[in-house]
Amino acid sequence: MSDQNKNLDAKNLDAKNLDAKTIDAKTIDIDKWLKAWKAHGAYTLSKHDPHKDGIAVSAFLPLTALLGAAKELYQNKFLLLDLSALEAQEGYVVTYHFDHLESSFRLAFRALVSRKKPSLPSIHPIFPGAEWHEREAYDFFGLTFDQNPNLIPLLLPDDFAGPPPLRKTTAALAPIAKLGLLGQVEILDADFGALIGQTGGLSS
Amino acid sequence: MTSGPLNMVNPFAVLESPGTLAGDFYARSFEKKAGPNRVILNLGPQHPSTHGVLRVLVELDGEYVVRAEPVLGYLHRMHEKMGEVKTPWQYIPNMGRVDYLHPLAWNWAFVGAAEKLAGLTVPERAEYLRVIGCELNRIGSHLLWWGAFVMDLGGFTPILYAFEEREKINDILQIITGSRLTMANFRFGGVITDADDRFIGLIQEFIPYLRKRLVMYKGLVTDNVILRRRLEGIGPMDVDLCQRYGATGPILRAAGLPRDLRKDCPYGVYPKFNFPIPSGPVNDSFGRYLVRLKEIETSLDIVEQAVNSLPNGPIMMDKAPKVSFKLPAGETYFAVEGARGQIGVHLVSDGGKNPYRVKLRAPGFSNLSLFAEAAKGSLLADAIAILGSLDLVIPEIDR
Amino acid sequence: MFLSLAVFVQIIVAVLLIIGLMVANAVAMVYMERKVAGFIQRRPGPYEVGPRGTLQAVCDSMKLLAKQIYRPGNADLILYYLAPILAFFPVLLLFLPIPFGPYLTPLPVNDGVVLILAFAGLGVLSNLLAGWGSSNKYSLLGAARAVAQTVAYEIPMILALLAVVLLSGSMDLKSITEQQGQWPWEWNVVLQPLAFFIYLISLVAETNRAPFDLPEAESELTAGFHTEYSGMGFALFFLSEYANMLLVSFVAAVFFLGGYRGPIADGFWWLFIKAYLLMFFMVWIRWTFPRVRFDQLLNLNWRWLLPLGLLNLWLTAIVTKLLV
Repeated sequence: MSDQNKNLDAKNLDAKNLDAKTIDAKTIDIDKWLKAWKAHGAYTLSKHDPHKDGIAVSAFLPLTALLGAAKELYQNKFLLLDLSALEAQEGYVVTYHFDHLESSFRLAFRALVSRKKPSLPSIHPIFPGAEWHEREAYDFFGLTFDQNPNLIPLLLPDDFAGPPPLRKTTAALAPIAKLGLLGQVEILDADFGALIGQTGGLSS
Repeated sequence: MTSGPLNMVNPFAVLESPGTLAGDFYARSFEKKAGPNRVILNLGPQHPSTHGVLRVLVELDGEYVVRAEPVLGYLHRMHEKMGEVKTPWQYIPNMGRVDYLHPLAWNWAFVGAAEKLAGLTVPERAEYLRVIGCELNRIGSHLLWWGAFVMDLGGFTPILYAFEEREKINDILQIITGSRLTMANFRFGGVITDADDRFIGLIQEFIPYLRKRLVMYKGLVTDNVILRRRLEGIGPMDVDLCQRYGATGPILRAAGLPRDLRKDCPYGVYPKFNFPIPSGPVNDSFGRYLVRLKEIETSLDIVEQAVNSLPNGPIMMDKAPKVSFKLPAGETYFAVEGARGQIGVHLVSDGGKNPYRVKLRAPGFSNLSLFAEAAKGSLLADAIAILGSLDLVIPEIDR
Repeated sequence: MFLSLAVFVQIIVAVLLIIGLMVANAVAMVYMERKVAGFIQRRPGPYEVGPRGTLQAVCDSMKLLAKQIYRPGNADLILYYLAPILAFFPVLLLFLPIPFGPYLTPLPVNDGVVLILAFAGLGVLSNLLAGWGSSNKYSLLGAARAVAQTVAYEIPMILALLAVVLLSGSMDLKSITEQQGQWPWEWNVVLQPLAFFIYLISLVAETNRAPFDLPEAESELTAGFHTEYSGMGFALFFLSEYANMLLVSFVAAVFFLGGYRGPIADGFWWLFIKAYLLMFFMVWIRWTFPRVRFDQLLNLNWRWLLPLGLLNLWLTAIVTKLLV
């Protein structure tokens, strides 16, 4: 009980001090994760304005690095909030949102999946809760996840006919750069940068 | 099946095709992995304790659950697609229909995401009204959960008491939202209706009334020895389990971690209120029960503070967006603390008429996903108790 | 016992009257159950049909009679139809040895306790057959629970009754009644409070009523052994459930509460008042308590009621031997 009270005192924010500083003091350690993802071979690293974007930092990771990055987040007390896929001009963007158990705001890493082979590794071994999120993406976008133990329709009926419902027509597709997924971005991989129409270095 | 007064069907029909697996696609794929001498029991989608249309397949060894698998989608309405084919303005009423027990939190999640994206500021009075509505809604949601949970355990009476209280809350919220179930009074840049004296008066009557009733609930239900024996030690969920499955809300707090977005990632005017976050000390079903009952009290505290310090002023921002409002291009993730956990809206816009992508993060979805692991090895009756302690609202899970 | 024509006619008449009593009891109990539940839950209960809703139960029974009987395709034809009948008829016999009044016993038997306990055990057979014959997994689980529960709780029930039998030295229900006085402090409950307590718990368990309604636990097994029954099949189970309640209440009244004896004037009214007070008690706890878990139910029996019952019986035996 005393522990809880201590916790409460630390968290009681004074009404007048509700400015960026108070919250930023508890936000995620951005530099740590930029560094960690760089080590995982990230294609891009992005800083975001957490008050506006809700996430503090994000990165495009190669498919092979997803599991390792997820494991690192798991060891650092992050929980998987959701797996949000969308279809952009360059392919499918799968965003994994993570919430830290003790600080404000979230972080996210993303994977770009080609339209030709819409398949990516499952992070089920680290976060078993991802199984359902992945099945949902399988339903809505037709993405397949290797090593997902039970990749059967979750929300749609098993005999659902027709294309996955959240795929877009070519005319409706927008490029990644326009969707604001990049924030204040640092391109680490030139090929990837070219693919999403960004040159190296920092840009906003 | 032939029709007739007695429905005479060949009683030996089952013997004609031995070895075939009965049931549908999900039952068959579940049954394939079953061990020998096990009973596959199909709970739902029409079952008294799945609260709506959840379906759970369980593999039983005697009365022990060997394996369980929830089957979702019976209430799936593709809200995320609707988000892409409607304008943001048209989409607000959808938010009242995702989680019918805590619609205002979903309102807030979506409207808040759009406000972040468009950089809108909300007048203070509107923020207060949002808090009051959201917290009253949370009380109603927890009350109904309480009644339904005790009904899962075989106690019939509490749910009617809970409904009685919830009716009073609905009477209050009806004044500012105009509806009793699928409420949607949030707009970009404020709320649609102002509070009047009757609204304030009803709330000031309701708060002491419910506090008195909560004492009675404790005597009638919480301290009941049968209830405690049914819940204590059943379905322990520690922080690690919550972390792996993404469980949030009262489940995570009962696991001992006082994680609440209202404090940890404040939105609206929550920092102005003084309220504790109940958490722990036990992580079993009874712990989750206590945390939710405690949260009713903290929500009452918040409502009381908000009503007493309700500022005057406009309820809509100046130059509030019109119906033809377009979201600027960009991405945002906005999360609020719903009755069941973190409600998140991932909103992506390309600057067009409709949002480019609306991803709804339903807390119940992640919370339910840990059921299979938590129920393993428990008795069937305990599995029902664990399922009830997760506080499921199926439309939210299926979206 | 020689079955003379007079006795035969007496049994026929008695059975017909008992059927009438069972139906009237079910109607009265449905009304009482719903009104009491309504009172406890702060709502009016039935009030539309008839004055103060009194005809609601009649209408309900009409609906049950008129309903189509719907049988699952894979059900065992014989067992499925036999089960409700088997639930209904043994209860009829059970009422025969009950002394309703000083001169009103349908069939005086000098060891009525044995008859009642023997036929009460038959009821569980119908639950088993219903569960097995329905070809439904919920029914089967419910039946398995019913058997385990009823068999377990018969033992403390018998032990509690035997203590009274030892005390009064007779197995005839009428003489057990006669040995108790008119006033409450002259009843067996004063001499045997522990036995009465054990019997009270066992009678709730024997009749599968909440909080011990595990064979039909609706939040787990939908409706347990009678999941697949509708219309008349369900009505028979329903009738026999209420008849069973009435019976165990009668037995409790006869053994512990002085039967038809009571202040001012002895008569059947006292028996009915006592029985319905006990049934009111059963209704009351049903709408108040949550349901226990199955293993807790059996633990309560094997760990507490059975040893206590044995101890009580043993003490009673010693005390009666020493004092008498």
